[in-house]
Amino acid sequence: MNPVAAGPVADVVSAVLMLSGALSCLLGAIGLVRLPDLPARLQAATKPQTLGLSLILLGTALRVEVATAVTLVLVVLFQVITAPVISQLVGRAAYRSGGFPDGTLVVDELAEHLPTDAVVGDEPAAERDGRD
Amino acid sequence: MSERASAPSAVRRPRWAARVRPRVLEIVWLTFVWVLLWGTFSPLSIVGGVVVAVAVIGAFRFPPAEAHLPVRPLRLLLLVGYLVYDMVVSGAEVSWQVLRYGPAARGAVFEVPLLSSSDRVVTVVANALSLSPGAMTLQIDHAHGLWFVYALGPRDGAGVERSRRRTMDMQRRVLAALGTPEELATAERLLAERGC
Repeated sequence: MNPVAAGPVADVVSAVLMLSGALSCLLGAIGLVRLPDLPARLQAATKPQTLGLSLILLGTALRVEVATAVTLVLVVLFQVITAPVISQLVGRAAYRSGGFPDGTLVVDELAEHLPTDAVVGDEPAAERDGRD
Repeated sequence: MSERASAPSAVRRPRWAARVRPRVLEIVWLTFVWVLLWGTFSPLSIVGGVVVAVAVIGAFRFPPAEAHLPVRPLRLLLLVGYLVYDMVVSGAEVSWQVLRYGPAARGAVFEVPLLSSSDRVVTVVANALSLSPGAMTLQIDHAHGLWFVYALGPRDGAGVERSRRRTMDMQRRVLAALGTPEELATAERLLAERGC
């Protein structure tokens, strides 16, 4: 029942990992409040969260038994594999239902490429066509 | 599977071997995850993992994997290292956007040529980018080989070009690990044309 690592060095490494993880989660939360539109908030909500959770779990993994640590690493792995898929699906759905406001994009090269019948939502098609 | 079995080289092997061979990597991976879930490297968990892996692959019929995916282990390792580095660096950049600009932050949706026709490579490319803070895949147009990306941060045309180059660079790194030599050469040529 020995932890993965012990001693003062392990304590410091573990603490640094967990604190930077918490900082990353905090910055993600601030981004969620401060950023102007859905796609930007989606970045703040998914990516720093993944990094933060990974760091916290790695910091924890140093302090627990090997068998438990391996499971925590597995949690990190699945988080890293699944989080991008979620952000992709939400982003795509938001784009197609008019969740990307006009004012916050510098360019939108996808608008010209989407067939008009692919755009759904309450926004009239004509209005969408006029978007740049 | 049927055309695989009728191919001249596969005739000598028994049928089940021809069916299992393309799945070996998937079985190894599922067994690995199973053993990690149990947390013990005992014979029982390994054998159990193989049984579960075969059952899962038998129950869910995925399309057969493409025959030749060139995998370069060293480049793959470098890619994983780069993804970790990118998560930290891009994470800091997103944080800067949040703290410096906040409600005035801007983003862009732009297109990038998609160089691979392999479903698996495209999946890895799209996921690798979406893992990076501040960027995500919005749409993939297989027919025209186009990849539409949202990026947080660009405030003008130059910023968009910078994001486009970074996206191309991410694609080049994935192709270096998993792509064919021709795809990698195209990626490097396109990057050189854009001057970086």
